[in-house]
Amino acid sequence: MTAPVRAGDNARLRMGVLGMVILSCFAALYARLWYLQVVANPESTRAVIINQVRVVPEQAPRGRLLDRQGRVVVDNRVSQAITVNRAEFTNDVDSVARLAALLNIPPAVLVNRINDQRFSPYKPVPVAEDVPESTVVYLAEHRDEFAGVEAAQLTERAYPNGNLAAHLLGYVGEINDREFKDRKGGNYKLGDDIGKSGVEKSYEQYLRGEPGLTKLEVDANGKVLRTLDAQPPVQGHDVQLTLDLDVQKLAEESLAQGIEAARRSTDREEKKHFIAPAGSVVVLDPRDGSVVAMASFPTYTPGDFVNGIKPEVFRALNEPASHYPLNNRAIAGQYAPGSTFKLVTAIAGLQDGLITPATTVLDTGSLQVGNREFKNAGSRAHGRVALARAMTVSSDVYFYTLGVRFWEKNKEVGHGIQDAARTFGLGQPTGIPLDTEARGRVPDPESRKKIHERNPQAFPEGKWFAGDNVNLSIGQGEMLTTPLQLAHVYGTFANGGTLFTPRVAARIARQDGSLVQDVASEVVRKIDVSSMRGPLVAGLRGAVADPDGTAHAAFAGFPSTFPVAGKTGTAQVGGGRQDTALFVGFAPYDDPQYVVAVVMEEAGFGGSTAAPVARRIFEGLAGRPPGPVQLVGGVD
Amino acid sequence: MAGAGVLSGSRMRSRSRTRSTASPLRHLDVSLIVAVMAVASLGVLMVYSATRNRFGGDPSFFMERQLLFVVLGVGVMAAAASIDYRIFRDHAPLLYIGTVAILVLVISPLGSNRKGAQAWFQLGSFQFQPSEWAKVALIICVAAYAASHRGDLDGQRLLALIGMAAVPMVLIQLQPDLGTDLVFAAILLGMLLVAGARPRHMAAMGLLAMLAVAAVFHFGLLQDYQRSRLTAFLDPKEDTQRSAYNLNQSKLAISHGGVTGQGLFEGTQTNLSYVPEQHTDFIFTVVAEELGLVGSGMLLGFFAFIVWRIWRAAALAKDLSGTLICIGVLAMFVFQIFENVGMTMGIMPITGIPLPFVSYGGSSTLAAFAAVGLVLNVHMRRFS
Repeated sequence: MTAPVRAGDNARLRMGVLGMVILSCFAALYARLWYLQVVANPESTRAVIINQVRVVPEQAPRGRLLDRQGRVVVDNRVSQAITVNRAEFTNDVDSVARLAALLNIPPAVLVNRINDQRFSPYKPVPVAEDVPESTVVYLAEHRDEFAGVEAAQLTERAYPNGNLAAHLLGYVGEINDREFKDRKGGNYKLGDDIGKSGVEKSYEQYLRGEPGLTKLEVDANGKVLRTLDAQPPVQGHDVQLTLDLDVQKLAEESLAQGIEAARRSTDREEKKHFIAPAGSVVVLDPRDGSVVAMASFPTYTPGDFVNGIKPEVFRALNEPASHYPLNNRAIAGQYAPGSTFKLVTAIAGLQDGLITPATTVLDTGSLQVGNREFKNAGSRAHGRVALARAMTVSSDVYFYTLGVRFWEKNKEVGHGIQDAARTFGLGQPTGIPLDTEARGRVPDPESRKKIHERNPQAFPEGKWFAGDNVNLSIGQGEMLTTPLQLAHVYGTFANGGTLFTPRVAARIARQDGSLVQDVASEVVRKIDVSSMRGPLVAGLRGAVADPDGTAHAAFAGFPSTFPVAGKTGTAQVGGGRQDTALFVGFAPYDDPQYVVAVVMEEAGFGGSTAAPVARRIFEGLAGRPPGPVQLVGGVD
Repeated sequence: MAGAGVLSGSRMRSRSRTRSTASPLRHLDVSLIVAVMAVASLGVLMVYSATRNRFGGDPSFFMERQLLFVVLGVGVMAAAASIDYRIFRDHAPLLYIGTVAILVLVISPLGSNRKGAQAWFQLGSFQFQPSEWAKVALIICVAAYAASHRGDLDGQRLLALIGMAAVPMVLIQLQPDLGTDLVFAAILLGMLLVAGARPRHMAAMGLLAMLAVAAVFHFGLLQDYQRSRLTAFLDPKEDTQRSAYNLNQSKLAISHGGVTGQGLFEGTQTNLSYVPEQHTDFIFTVVAEELGLVGSGMLLGFFAFIVWRIWRAAALAKDLSGTLICIGVLAMFVFQIFENVGMTMGIMPITGIPLPFVSYGGSSTLAAFAAVGLVLNVHMRRFS
């Protein structure tokens, strides 16, 4: 073959062009190699480490909740669960169908659970809880058919007492976005459990424990190659409550019975049964402000929230017809206190020197103030009454008169009733370590003006009149308290004037029993009630023990070895609703160990509905086997 | 390395003795053989590193097979060098027809499908991939045709050459195997450049190629996975796609090597199989991670040396057909090296093109050795 003819002319040039192209290709590769291996190397080295190490957190079992005697109120239990490791599970139709059949759940449900984004991809996803032992055995015998499927034991919240004290204890649920944001850096991960309400929420930091951390080396497929470091979780601390399981049970039973009974009895004014949709009971130890029992009706089952509450159950809990069982009415319900407020009015009058225990008022059944006539309940006339008698028979006219006197002496004593109410902690949260506590309201000209300005149509009156003082003196008008506040006021009076911050926990301890922290009672202030205690206690004792006392019928036959003193209240609500029935009392009156407040919505007279509930609770507290709640006839 | 060279040399000696006393063997380019054997040996080692703790079973399975391919490759290289390239050239039409026939056969039910491409014949435990051989065959055929017209490529002859390449390319695209088609295109372009295509024709082909790329993308002729692979390198930060993820892991592995590397068998990205297809298409990441800039730079250096020796053989060739055969091999290697290494570093699109002599694979290794054999062939017969 001869030498190239045509190509020869510029073959050198053409080869040269090719050579240049090749040189630039290699130059580009070297330049890129230099950039990646020298310039970008430090950053890549960091990225590679992150690439290969996965940190898998494991939640710690929560601490337990104990009652004041050390009995377990909320526990943990181990649930036999089936988990799916997403990296190993062959997610095809056959495998899903086979596993769904084994677990006896629809395949679609299983697929949803496997894909639950709450779970870390490096952590097996629980797809069924509380499976029978036979399922676990079957799985063990047919391992090859169920790749990536394991039997595992999960620790979850358990409620050995069912829904007892549900509101005080609260429930645990999956952390939501807001809670997560609030706790940035707080060691929480999406999908973690967190106390949602009650003590579970307030003492979350002690109950939660230390999550375990496992550092795993993983390959590109997420397959775990080995464990680099494992830090096991540490169970949370136990919180010993001031709650007494027996008293709690007594309070809940009594309240439920009272509400049942009220629903069966007839409202004479409106000629229909009482609706009695809801109510609450608070039992305090007045000596240190401890909550011994706290009941709210209707209630819910905290166990429903374990492993996520079913949507239909949650919907039902939030329907108006079910009266919002999640609300803790003992601290969040705000009620006009009615005559139970007369204790505060009396203390205010004595403190400001507007009355003495001996001051008498002629109770003719009504009082004319300006152009308005204020009547006793049932327009009943009690004759000439002094302070103790006025409390015993619940003479409205006596306190109306006192209210008017406060109005007249406004220049000298200011708003004495409101001042006394605030001194006893009304109109502000008591500071009990529970979420959703309401502050109540102590109305005065200023608050009246504010309410009016905020909503002039609903509250056309922006000024304060003598009549408002009259209403306030018997706990009506715009006065609002929570059941806890009522118990708190009476407890403060009963213990000789020491206002505590109510407490629900007494002690926090590690799992080995060693002390983390004693939760001491905190004294907010001391109020001097020594000079007025005698006549006021006599009046309150009379309400229970005197034949003319408003709670006498309810406490008929109650033993004098555990003497109760207390006050009934029947608060008008307005808006076409039936009266709120109230009773607050303490016992033994000369050395008070318990304060009991009972508030029942749309349930009639305090003396006929709330007092019998309180009586049953006091029976139990006195150590007597309590009989059924029996409503009695009667007045305010 | 030296041993392998001696081995191949001794085989040739036994054949050439019967043939000619003016043995072309005296002009054998030993340095090219040494460089190729150096790269191939490194390849075997890297295949071992990439596969020893994967797949389960025998850790040296892939390494042993690759070693076998290299030994067979040396034989193929010797064979390709020993038969005068002009004999190949003169039988080019037969070679062409055979190649087309075998490419038709592989997309018939006789071929087997693996990873979505109908590109193999299953022979026992081995797979034979005809498209790798078709590259070498095309080089010979194009060289033969272009040289027969003495490098005078007018429009008609140019079209004939393009048509000649287009038939196997269409058949390969039916498998489908876009990467190999790109190699074909590179071979054709390189050979046409040197064969004497008119500059305006070259410019027109460049323009057409660009239009074709645009059309392929625009009219959706690519499968989605192909498109994402090809474009992942443009925006690897958008790593929602598997391709971009793979590319980032690949770059990370290379970068992790640094200057001196993590050490042989110590590449963590490699050991944890973060990089896909690491014993085949992404084998460069093993070299780069474990041996660093020193090792991977040296590998590129060997490649550059090989390319230079081929370029030199092309320049020294006795006739145009010899020159064009060398240029075809040159274009093939340069494109495969640049595309393969560039892809692992994120400067070229991801296509399934093996790195010559390094990537695991029988057909590609054997074809590469055969190609070098042709170059040796042309080089040592430059005086005869």
